[in-house]
Amino acid sequence: MRYSLVRQILILAVLALIPAVGGAVYFRHKISWRSAILPSEMVTVDQARAWGENVIWVDARPDEEFARDHVPAALSLNEDRWNELLPQFLAAWSPGKKIVVYCSSLGCNASREVARRLRREAQLPDVFVLEGGWEEWLKKR
Amino acid sequence: MGRVAEKEMKTTPNTQPSTSNVEPSAGATTSNIFWRTVDFVVAGIFIYAGAIKALDPVQFASDIDNYKTLPWPVSVALAFYLPWLEIFCGFSLVVRSLYRGALSILTALILVFTLMTIAAKLRGLDITCGCFGHASQNWSFTAHLALDLILLAAVIFLLGVRRRELAVNT
Repeated sequence: MRYSLVRQILILAVLALIPAVGGAVYFRHKISWRSAILPSEMVTVDQARAWGENVIWVDARPDEEFARDHVPAALSLNEDRWNELLPQFLAAWSPGKKIVVYCSSLGCNASREVARRLRREAQLPDVFVLEGGWEEWLKKR
Repeated sequence: MGRVAEKEMKTTPNTQPSTSNVEPSAGATTSNIFWRTVDFVVAGIFIYAGAIKALDPVQFASDIDNYKTLPWPVSVALAFYLPWLEIFCGFSLVVRSLYRGALSILTALILVFTLMTIAAKLRGLDITCGCFGHASQNWSFTAHLALDLILLAAVIFLLGVRRRELAVNT
């Protein structure tokens, strides 16, 4: 059976849609359509504060923003100086502690990336991203 | 349907070889074997790349998002869809069914991948393209670009060769 070029493209496009939908259903609990971060990997300012001393705050913003102001006792760990800052962070980390990473605001990606690298590269558990980032912290300070 | 397309459907094989009574020359056979091999290599690369990404759409969505050009929900949708499109197009090249459609889609895809890779480099983004999942995580920009350009050249040549065949057969 022969088809015109446009029809061939359409048939392939529709065919690919079928397993794609299947994949979306299969992986529905592993990925969020609303945010790059799973709801289970996010934490609000109030929740993080409730953890008290059991938290290590990680500031994923650039050095100059960290120098200007940051969450008390937060450690700087950004992607620009990842290799340099990671050992310092690991020295401060201890098993059982929760890690809360934040960047400037709700729309920034740095905290997500740093959290992802801490999970994947440093193999650390209990890494969370602060919802709303530094802006949200300031509002609730 | 347009008259040209109708004529094409009636007269040109999409999957079958020419029904002409003229025996193909040795040169034509060699050339055919060569292009068929290119078909298989290109198909293999796209099927492999698609399969790896289809198995880990979460990582692929993140890789697409790293280009910082699309909203997150679109990245997720593409992460589920593009791998399967690559796989189906790859199989189409192998079985030579919906062949021109598959080549056209692959040409468009590889063109977009190449442009996005270059744009990301120009914007100073240090990212992995995610083209081959974790396998390509440590590839340099040059390696990505080289593979993209080789694939682009291959699919464009295949399109050209098949178009010429089409013209000869009609």
